[in-house]
Amino acid sequence: MNSFIQIFLGGVLQGSIYALLALGFSLVFRVTGVINLAQGAFCTLGALITYSLQVEAHLPVPLAASLAVVITTLLAGIAGSVLFVPGLTRLTNSNMLMMTAGMLTLFEGLVLVVWGSQPYALPPFSGERPWRLGGILVQTQGVWVIGVAILVIIGLGWMLMKTRLGQALRACAENPMAARLTGVDVPRLQLFAFALAGAIGAVAGIVVAPAIALEFDTGRLLTISGFIAVAIGGIASFPGAIAGGLLLGLVNQLGTAYVSSLFSNALSLGLLLLVLIVRPAGLIRAGVVRRSDVRDEARVWQHVTRISAKAAWRVAALALLVALCAPYVLSNGLLSALIITLILYVALIGQDMLMGYAGQISLGQAGFMALGGYTSSYLITAQEWQALPAIGMGMLFALAAALVLAGVTLRLRGLYMALATLAFGLLIDSCTVGFDDITGGPSGMVGIPGLELFGLDLDTPARMYYTVLALVVIVLISVAGAMRSGFGRALQAIRTDPLAAAALGVNVVGCKMVAFAISAMLAALSGSLYAFQFHFLAPEMVGAPRSLELVSMLVIGGEGTLIGPLFGAALITILPTLFQPLAIYKTLASGALLAGCALYLPQGMFGIALRLLPRRTGA
Amino acid sequence: MSTLEIRNLKKSFGGLLATQDVSFNVASHSLTALIGPNGAGKTTLFNLITNLFPSDSGSVKFDGVELRGLSPSAIARLGVIRTFQTARVFPGMTVLENALAGRHRLLRHGIASQFLWLPGQRREERQLAERAMALLDLVGLADQAQRPATDLPMGAQKLLEVIRALMAQPRLLLLDEPAAGLNDTETAELAALLRAIQACGVTVMVVEHNMSLVMTIADQVIVLEAGRMIASGPPAEIQANQRVIAAYLGQEAA
Repeated sequence: MNSFIQIFLGGVLQGSIYALLALGFSLVFRVTGVINLAQGAFCTLGALITYSLQVEAHLPVPLAASLAVVITTLLAGIAGSVLFVPGLTRLTNSNMLMMTAGMLTLFEGLVLVVWGSQPYALPPFSGERPWRLGGILVQTQGVWVIGVAILVIIGLGWMLMKTRLGQALRACAENPMAARLTGVDVPRLQLFAFALAGAIGAVAGIVVAPAIALEFDTGRLLTISGFIAVAIGGIASFPGAIAGGLLLGLVNQLGTAYVSSLFSNALSLGLLLLVLIVRPAGLIRAGVVRRSDVRDEARVWQHVTRISAKAAWRVAALALLVALCAPYVLSNGLLSALIITLILYVALIGQDMLMGYAGQISLGQAGFMALGGYTSSYLITAQEWQALPAIGMGMLFALAAALVLAGVTLRLRGLYMALATLAFGLLIDSCTVGFDDITGGPSGMVGIPGLELFGLDLDTPARMYYTVLALVVIVLISVAGAMRSGFGRALQAIRTDPLAAAALGVNVVGCKMVAFAISAMLAALSGSLYAFQFHFLAPEMVGAPRSLELVSMLVIGGEGTLIGPLFGAALITILPTLFQPLAIYKTLASGALLAGCALYLPQGMFGIALRLLPRRTGA
Repeated sequence: MSTLEIRNLKKSFGGLLATQDVSFNVASHSLTALIGPNGAGKTTLFNLITNLFPSDSGSVKFDGVELRGLSPSAIARLGVIRTFQTARVFPGMTVLENALAGRHRLLRHGIASQFLWLPGQRREERQLAERAMALLDLVGLADQAQRPATDLPMGAQKLLEVIRALMAQPRLLLLDEPAAGLNDTETAELAALLRAIQACGVTVMVVEHNMSLVMTIADQVIVLEAGRMIASGPPAEIQANQRVIAAYLGQEAA
C-alpha cells in the first residue's frame, strides 16, 4: 500500500509539471488558436539560466530563479513580437504550428551554443534529504513542484476571472474580431499571452529541474508531454489542461511501476489515442461550434507560381547534367554529404506531398524512416535477406503503421494529426531504444552491409550516388505526375477548403490517407538507404530531432513545390560538412531559418529561385 | 417526374427552428428558385440537402435515394453539386485548376495511373483541360486561366465556382446566390448560362435575391420565411400571392 501511495505521489508530482506545461499551451491556444510547440523550450531556458546564475554566479536561489523567469519571459516576448504575433495575421494555423516548431529548434540551438550538449542538474531547493511521513518518503522538491503548480493555477485563474486584463484575454479567446472592434488591442494581448506562457514555462522548468537531468533537447520532451496532456484534457479549457496533466502523470508513473518503463510512453500514447477516438475535443470540452459553411477568414496567401514548361525542362536537363558529373568533381566527403541529401530528399518528396499539397502536418516522419531502416537492416543482417525484399518489407511495415495511425487520426480535424504523428515518432523512439536485442538499443545497430542489388555491389560512393540519384529521379517524376493531375488537385483542395472539396465529391479522408501512406513508404525507403549508406543505424539518427529537421528542410526549401525540399536538405546537410566549426550552430540556424521562412518566405528557397525563371503565361 | 422530393424537413439550432415542415418536389430538368427574406433558412436548406449538417427529421430523396445520413462527398458523387454563398474557390490554385478540381468525382484514371504517367491518363487530363477552357470561355474567364483564382474579383470568383460545379456534371445543381456581387451585364450572362445549363438536362435550384432574375428564369418559386415554406408555384402565381408580398416583396416595394 505504501509503495502504491509513493507511486501515486510521484504521479501527482509529474502530473503537476505536465499540468503547468499544459496550462501554457492552453493559454496561448485560447487567445490565438495556435498550438505553441516552443512551450517546452521555455522550461529548459528558465532552468538553465537559473543554473548559471545560481551555480556559476553564486546568486541565492530565489534571486536566481526570479531573474531567470524575467529573462525567459523577455526572450519569449522577443520571439513573440518578432515571429509569433506577426505570423498570426499572415499564416494558416498549420503553418503557425511549423513556425513554433522552428522556434523550438531555435531555442534548442541557442541552448546548445550557450550551454553545450551535456546534462545539467540543479541542486534541490530545500536540500537532498526527503521527508518521512508515516512510511512514505516525500522528496522535498516534489512539495515545491506541487505547491508552485497550485500557486500558478490559482494566480492564473484569478487573473483571468477577476481582472480587466483577464476579461480582455477571454474576449480575445472567444471572438478576436469583436474584441478588436470594441477597442481591445488584440495583438498586444496575444503577445502578452505568449510571454505569460513563457513565464509559466520558465517557472515549471525551474521547479522541476532539480528532479530531472536537463539537456538541450529536454524542452522537446517537455513540449511533447505537455502537448499530450493538453490534448487528453481538452486544449480549450484550463480545468481540462490541469486534469489532462495530472492524468498523464499518474498513468506514466503507474505504468512505469507496474508495467515497464519501456512501455510508459506507449501507455501515454495509448491513452492519447483512446481520448482522440472517443472524445476528440479532449475530456473536458469548451468552445463554440463554428458554422462550417462559412469559411474562416482566409489566412492563406500562398502565391501560385507555375513555371513555363519549356523553362522547367531546360532547368531540369541542366540540373541532371550537373548531377551526373558530380562524382568526378567532388571530394569523397562532399559526395557522401550529397548522397545523404538525396536520401533524405526521398523522404522529403513524400512529406511535401503530405504537408505541402494536402496540408497535413506530420512531425513524425523519422519514425517511418526508423521502421524502414531497422526492419530492412535486421532482415539483412540477422535473417540474410536480399536487399530488395528487405527494403520492401520495411516499406510494408511503414505502410501498415501509417494506415493504423491514419485510420485513427485522419478523421479528426485540425492539428490532431500533427499531434498523433509526434506521439508516434516518440513511440518509435522508445521502441528503437527498448527492443535492444533487435535494434542494438541506444548504441545502435552495427555491421549493416552496403547496398547490393541483383548481385551488384553498390557500396562505393560513386555507385551509391548514381543509384540514389536514379531513384530520386524516378520518385520525383512519378509524384510530379500525380501532383499535376486529379490527385494533386484534390489534395490542394483539401488543404485549403476541405468542405468545398467534399461538396465536389472528393473523398477527403481517403485522399489524405493515400498521401499519408505514400509519404510513410517513401520515408521507410529513405530510412533503409540511410542505414546502408552509414552501415550503421542508431536511434538518434532517425528520432524525433530528425523529424523536426525534415520539417525544417521542407519549409526552408519551399513546401508544396516538390523541388524546393532538395534545396532545404542540401543546405542543412552540406553546409555543416563544408564548414565544420559551424556545426554547433546547425540547430540554431535551422530553427531560425524555419521560423523565418515560414513567416517571410512561404515558398522558401525555391520561391527565390522561381523569381529567376520565366513564368507560364496564357494557356 | 420529380428529381428531388423533400418531405417534412426539420432542423433546429438550440431553440431556434431554422427549418420546419418544409415539403416540396423539384421536377427533373426544371429550374427552381428559393427566395425569402434574410434569415429565412434558404442556405440552411441547401446545407441540409447536402448534409453539411444533419437534419433533425424528415426526408430528402434524390431520384428515390435517401440523402439523409450520407456524407457530403457521397451526396456529391450521386451528382448533387452545390456552390456556396461566399465564393469558395481554392486558393493556391489557378483558375483552370479550380475548374478541373470540379471534375474529381468523374476521373476515369485512378491515383496509380497518375503516378505512372499512363498515356490514357495524360490524354484524359488534356481533354479535361480543353473542356474546362471551353466552359471558362463561356463566362469570359478563358484568358485568366493561368492566374491564381483568388486574384479574380468576387463576381468572377462566383462564376468560376459555377463553372467548377458544371465540370462535375451535376444532375442536380444547387447554386447559392450566384448573382450576388455580379454587375448587370454579368447577371444577364449568368441568366443565359443558367438557361443553357437547364437546357443540357440539369435540374437546378437557385437561392437568389435578385427578383427580376428569379422571375425570368424560374419554372417554380419556393418562398421561405422564418424556416417555414409559405408559398410555392410558378413565378406569376408567386408575384400575385398576398402573403409573399407581405412577407417579402411588399417590404421591398415599400
